[in-house]
Amino acid sequence: MTAISLTVNGRRHAAEVEPRTHLADFLREDLLLTGTHLGCEHGVCGACTLMVDGRPVRSCLTFAATCDGAEVQTVEGFGEDPLMTRLRGAFSRHHALQCGFCTPGMLTTAYDIVCRLPEADEARIREELAGNLCRCTGYAGIVAAIADVLADPTPASLQPRERPALRSKDDGEPSTAPVKAPARTAETSFATSLPIPERIDGGVSLERRLALDIAPDRLWALLQDFESVVGCLPGAALETPSGSPDAPVTGSFTVAIGPMRANFRGRALVAYDDARRSGRVRGAGGDPVSRSQGEGEMRFAVEAGQQQKKSVLVVALVYRLKGPLSQFGRPAIVADVVDRLLARFADNLAALAEGRGLVHAAPMSGFGLLYQTMSKSMRTLLAKLRG
Amino acid sequence: MKPAPFDYSAATSSADARQQLVAGGGAAKILAGGQSLGPMLNLRLARPGQLVDLSRAGDLRSVTDEGDTLLYGAALRHAEFEDGDVADATPGWLPAIARGIAYRAVRNRGTIGGSLAHADPAADWVVTLTALGAEVVIAGPDGAKTLPMTDFIRGPLSTALEPADVLTGIRLRKRLPGARWGYWKFAQKAGEFAKASAAVLIDAERGETRIVVGAIERAPIVLDDPQAALADPETVLPLLKRLTAPNPPATLALHAAAVRRACLAATAPKDEDMPS
Repeated sequence: MTAISLTVNGRRHAAEVEPRTHLADFLREDLLLTGTHLGCEHGVCGACTLMVDGRPVRSCLTFAATCDGAEVQTVEGFGEDPLMTRLRGAFSRHHALQCGFCTPGMLTTAYDIVCRLPEADEARIREELAGNLCRCTGYAGIVAAIADVLADPTPASLQPRERPALRSKDDGEPSTAPVKAPARTAETSFATSLPIPERIDGGVSLERRLALDIAPDRLWALLQDFESVVGCLPGAALETPSGSPDAPVTGSFTVAIGPMRANFRGRALVAYDDARRSGRVRGAGGDPVSRSQGEGEMRFAVEAGQQQKKSVLVVALVYRLKGPLSQFGRPAIVADVVDRLLARFADNLAALAEGRGLVHAAPMSGFGLLYQTMSKSMRTLLAKLRG
Repeated sequence: MKPAPFDYSAATSSADARQQLVAGGGAAKILAGGQSLGPMLNLRLARPGQLVDLSRAGDLRSVTDEGDTLLYGAALRHAEFEDGDVADATPGWLPAIARGIAYRAVRNRGTIGGSLAHADPAADWVVTLTALGAEVVIAGPDGAKTLPMTDFIRGPLSTALEPADVLTGIRLRKRLPGARWGYWKFAQKAGEFAKASAAVLIDAERGETRIVVGAIERAPIVLDDPQAALADPETVLPLLKRLTAPNPPATLALHAAAVRRACLAATAPKDEDMPS
């Protein structure tokens, strides 16, 4: 727990908060100020917008622990504030709310627009409101209400203030010991039972051609050994190989993208077409911790390269992500992950063809680099221990 | 929709933050403005064991005039650039860039250093600071080091930062009023992630011309021959086709349009408004 002291709507509060508690939950659950609404909880909808130190912020993306010394103003706290009183009146006159869910955030943003942009025209008001979503009235009434107040603005009594920066007494001396989070329980294991899709409709597609220094015959022979192929994909692991062509294999795939890390487990059907030297892998899987799911189909084909003993592996991927990861797995980001994965796969496959050990084994990205250095130092340590 | 538990500490300085990162081992991560990390934490896509909060570290919240360059502290917020609260190394370009970042409520907490360390390919600072030839200053185990943006950004959400490194500042050359600038991005809705973006710098006095293509599946592309693209913007589409991974024609056309419009903004007669 972290001890904080802050002012909410003019009243001082001292509290102990869990570091992971965001400001909106602290206000709603601990102070029972439920005027702050939570919509998406990841910074998109704007419903939770409120004032911290006189500036609008997303209270779902602001941890209460970071608000020590802050002055917070929620929709309940404006009371007789002259500008907010006028905005409320204008919202009412212009039918700028229906269900009212977005209204606390809308009023906060409206207050900021009037304070900060006295010259704003309709286009600018709309631009500034882009971060607050309303799902029932549309925006015409809201824009009209703000324009109405802007036509004859009332000075804002709430002004931005700067909380002083923290200064260390002796530079480099940590002033606060980190607050320990409660111990977490182990990740739950789950056996996936997601259906393997027949087709991926509306998925994102991606095609890559991988040039390899392996003769086409040899490459095709290597690809037949599905277990070795999976071994060449860093982060992938085969749990149960397939007993027959109709039975799916099960396995897992770990990927780290920036600070995100997902561990998918799932099933896939693998089919080879010897005559065409091509194949198809269809599968679906899920990451229980991030509650994300993915399904996809990969078609691959071996083509002869331009020179002898060289070949091209054509990989065509169609995939669809569902759940939280899809919020961040934009096509450009997934494409980069696939490219880096294929580059490592090509290295590993070449090593396999020459009978060498794998070049890349750790899951990808910054986290992967970390594991690589860790395993290197562990190897050194082991070597020392063995004398 | 609640983050997994983590430890929290507020760093008083960049040195303090570094010590805490080292003490925390691989589990500790920097929290700057938290506007990109926050959603990942809330959705439990990121589950760091400890967060070291930089947002109030005194030495990261100021601008230093170094003569020919300005050094911006990494914890300066987008809104502070937008409002002109910090000195501008350019003839008025930084506030315009900052104003286009997400939404005001996000700009009030998001920081320039956090944006670079996160390295979203569509991020405004990632693209524009590359075009401006910025350098980043990193505090690491062997003291401070400086990297040009082109070496710092490795790819989407990937940078040269090591686990115990802290990005402390961004160094920008001062631009004279004669220098020209164009930045254009395509987003389906104001404040959303850009689907295509490009930035153009023409600084004749310093002999620097740079065209940067952003919001793609890799680190921003710095065109080798910016003069050729400026002379004939139609050459950009076939060029991008060669430089990027296989992309659908519509995506390529969008990237090429971003370059053309940024070029247009940088070369338009000065009294005209930049297309926005």
